[in-house]
Amino acid sequence: MRPLNWLETQSEATFAYVLLAPAFLLLAVIAFYPLLRTFSFSLLADQTAAPTPFGEFIGFDNYVALLTGEALLPQQFLDPSFATPILQQALFVTLAFAILSVLFETLIGFGQAIVLDQDFYGRRWVRVAIIIPYAIPIVIQAMIFYLMFNPTVGFAADFMQSIGVFGSNPLTNATDSFIIVLVADIWKTSAFMALLILAGLQSIDRGLYDVARVSGASPWQQFKYITLPLIAPALLVAMLFRTMDAMRIYGLIDATAGCQTVPSMSCLVITALQNTRRWATASAVAFLTAVVIGVLVLLYLISLRDTEAGVT
Amino acid sequence: MSEKDQADLAAMEKTDEPDLDRGMVEAWAAKMISNPDRAYRATFYVATIFFLVTTLFPFYWLLMVALTPRNRLSSVGVLTPGGFNPGAFVEIFTTLPFHRYIFNSFLIAVVATVIVLFVASLAGYVFGRLRFRAKNVLLLSVLVTSFFPPAAFFVPLNRLFNRNIDILRPLMQDGSLYNTPYAIFIPLSALYLPLSIFILMTFYSQIPDGLEDAARVEGTTRLGALFRIIVPLSAPGVATAGVLTFITVYNEYFFSSLMTDGRPQSWAPMLEGILRFQGEFEVLFNLMAAASIVAVLPVAILVIVAQEKIVSGLTAGAVKE
Repeated sequence: MRPLNWLETQSEATFAYVLLAPAFLLLAVIAFYPLLRTFSFSLLADQTAAPTPFGEFIGFDNYVALLTGEALLPQQFLDPSFATPILQQALFVTLAFAILSVLFETLIGFGQAIVLDQDFYGRRWVRVAIIIPYAIPIVIQAMIFYLMFNPTVGFAADFMQSIGVFGSNPLTNATDSFIIVLVADIWKTSAFMALLILAGLQSIDRGLYDVARVSGASPWQQFKYITLPLIAPALLVAMLFRTMDAMRIYGLIDATAGCQTVPSMSCLVITALQNTRRWATASAVAFLTAVVIGVLVLLYLISLRDTEAGVT
Repeated sequence: MSEKDQADLAAMEKTDEPDLDRGMVEAWAAKMISNPDRAYRATFYVATIFFLVTTLFPFYWLLMVALTPRNRLSSVGVLTPGGFNPGAFVEIFTTLPFHRYIFNSFLIAVVATVIVLFVASLAGYVFGRLRFRAKNVLLLSVLVTSFFPPAAFFVPLNRLFNRNIDILRPLMQDGSLYNTPYAIFIPLSALYLPLSIFILMTFYSQIPDGLEDAARVEGTTRLGALFRIIVPLSAPGVATAGVLTFITVYNEYFFSSLMTDGRPQSWAPMLEGILRFQGEFEVLFNLMAAASIVAVLPVAILVIVAQEKIVSGLTAGAVKE
């Protein structure tokens, strides 16, 4: 009872800090400190043969090498001529994936949310069915699409080849694999957008629609002038979360096409680490990934502030 | 597809239509114009069926692959299996100790959930109910950690977990945390902590101050008031945070795939088990599918049972910013 008695006599602020200590200890060991370490590692030279993977301090040379395309990393197949620096390929894959997946997930999520917003018999079960993909393990999501687009087992590979969209083995082709990964992600995560949009829809005062109908507004006008502005803040927050999540893409790629075929930023960190043992370069890529996400979050937050100011 | 379905639907509903000489499509169009609500209703049903099919079909097809015997795998149809071999669901446990992988995953997820609930309860209480100067700064720093990708933390953590630490030598064989469940649940507890802090913060802040004050007057300690009054009264919130943490840890890929060598006795989680069916000589597609179905059942059941909790947790976590 001694420590508890001691706590009783402390001020509210001290009590707060004591209770926060475990959380911040965990975050410091797993997040804050490793992030700083990643940055300091990225300023060292690679040592692929020596027992310790890091050499002397070389400043920002790793970043320069990455941005100019001189970094020695396992080459990927996205650009067969090897003309594009690998970092740019990874950046392109990651950004294109994030933008396209969030765009489609928002549109499909909107459709699902509108369906779930209706009152009908069996609504609970339709909602379960729509949420289930969101709750399944990444490896199983990957397995489903890996099997579907596998030339031996899957029907989708044959079908897409017969209509001339994909090649004979889509999971070894960079463009085809990118589309497969994109579809798999949309299948899984549209439900997340749907749930957040649904929460926004259900918080709208139904009386507003009655007023609009009496004033002669068409359904489209009701949507444009009531629904959209009122759910915009919730929608932007949901898109922010999804964008951050999409930019981390790793597991889905690793378990379907492989990190060499579709190099995302996170993939590049792992291939640099495991295939070439270039720890310092891997750290530089990892830190750049964090920076890119940080910049994107900032842009989002600025635009979020603007819309909130515009609405109120 | 949608137009045909709607036409069929209209044909079924065409009973009270007086003009019999109209074609089916025109009749449908006339009906929809005179009664737009019915048109919305029809579109709604088509959309519902579309979403149900697109979300559930992949699971159905996975079952079809699992039921197909190994030598007939090239003849799996879109809707039918290439044979009937339920033995695949037994084979996954005999070819590999897949139950051990599932057990590892469960253990990691349960331990991480317990750690997260305890630590996030303390932090959620502070952020939800106490007032002090640095509160907003600290809350922001919790939020910031959920922004960064796990890859940004991975290089130092990989080094840390592979290092031989003398103090750990009595506990681990070689004194390093690699190939132990610690290397997975410690990072995952930290990474999924912010979500639970936000959920619990919301729930704890809604308990009336009077209840806590009454308990304090009765002589409960501050911590006693938290664990005897606030936490039990916020049971739905704690359950929400617990269910979401369990599911996200069970589903995680990044650390789960990188912190062990993939052998079941090295505490490799379920995902390594599924990927191991990509054998050395032959890819056992039907076993991969069967293992996936077995591994997805726990979360599927959890979603059906705790649907409301998951929905409220996801929305609370995101709306809180």
